[in-house]
Amino acid sequence: MMVAVFATMLLALLLSRVGPPWLAILSLIGCLGLSVGLFLFEIYSPDYGFRMPWLQTMLDISPPGRLT
Amino acid sequence: MKRLPSLLNDLALLAMLLVIAAILTTAMTLQYAYGELPCPLCLLQRVAMFGVCVGIILHFRNGYSVRNTGLSLLFALFLLIVSVRQTLLDIYPRPGHSYIGSTVLGLHMPVWSILIALAILLAFAIKLAVLGGGEQLRDARPAPLLGGAAAVLTLYMIALCGINFVSVILQCGFGECHTFGYKLL
Repeated sequence: MMVAVFATMLLALLLSRVGPPWLAILSLIGCLGLSVGLFLFEIYSPDYGFRMPWLQTMLDISPPGRLT
Repeated sequence: MKRLPSLLNDLALLAMLLVIAAILTTAMTLQYAYGELPCPLCLLQRVAMFGVCVGIILHFRNGYSVRNTGLSLLFALFLLIVSVRQTLLDIYPRPGHSYIGSTVLGLHMPVWSILIALAILLAFAIKLAVLGGGEQLRDARPAPLLGGAAAVLTLYMIALCGINFVSVILQCGFGECHTFGYKLL
């Protein structure tokens, strides 16, 4: 998949220099689509899904006047 | 005086292209000279930087277009999303997850990527706010000297992307990427 991402990006760069601009843009959009797909695949965890449970976002509410 | 906005626009875009080329060169130097293999999200960040450059290269070839700016902004946004997610992924060290590679000025690569993405977005925002995207820019062609410099940088970026492409084939093959070593070597 990463090879396809870089292949489409290389194609977009080459076409932006020597080919028709619309084809360069098409290749660039294709590359972006593949990149987003790969990004979602990479960050997905079978255990957590897309969540990040190691980040604690709840307030630590201690009873007033009591030192922990 | 009429050409001044166009000249400033070209200078700004050329500077962006130069800085991104320098950043990618540094990343590849760290990879090949110090053996720091890029992780999959790091590779996607490189792709995003190349994507920003394509929008700029299209400007120097075909003249100003808001579409080119839009393409570059899309990839700058993608760079920001990937780098923020990677920073949050590795911010709390746990088995199998920690920042990969050495630090540069005390910051790891994904953190640098956030700053780079913000700098690109800021640069485009300032450029649009100051120069706009009106008729003055629409009809203008890049000055020969700046156009020549952009052409050289374009060829350099194509070479960098080509090297990255070969490197990705060696590192990942046609499957998933890992940072253990080059799969095909």
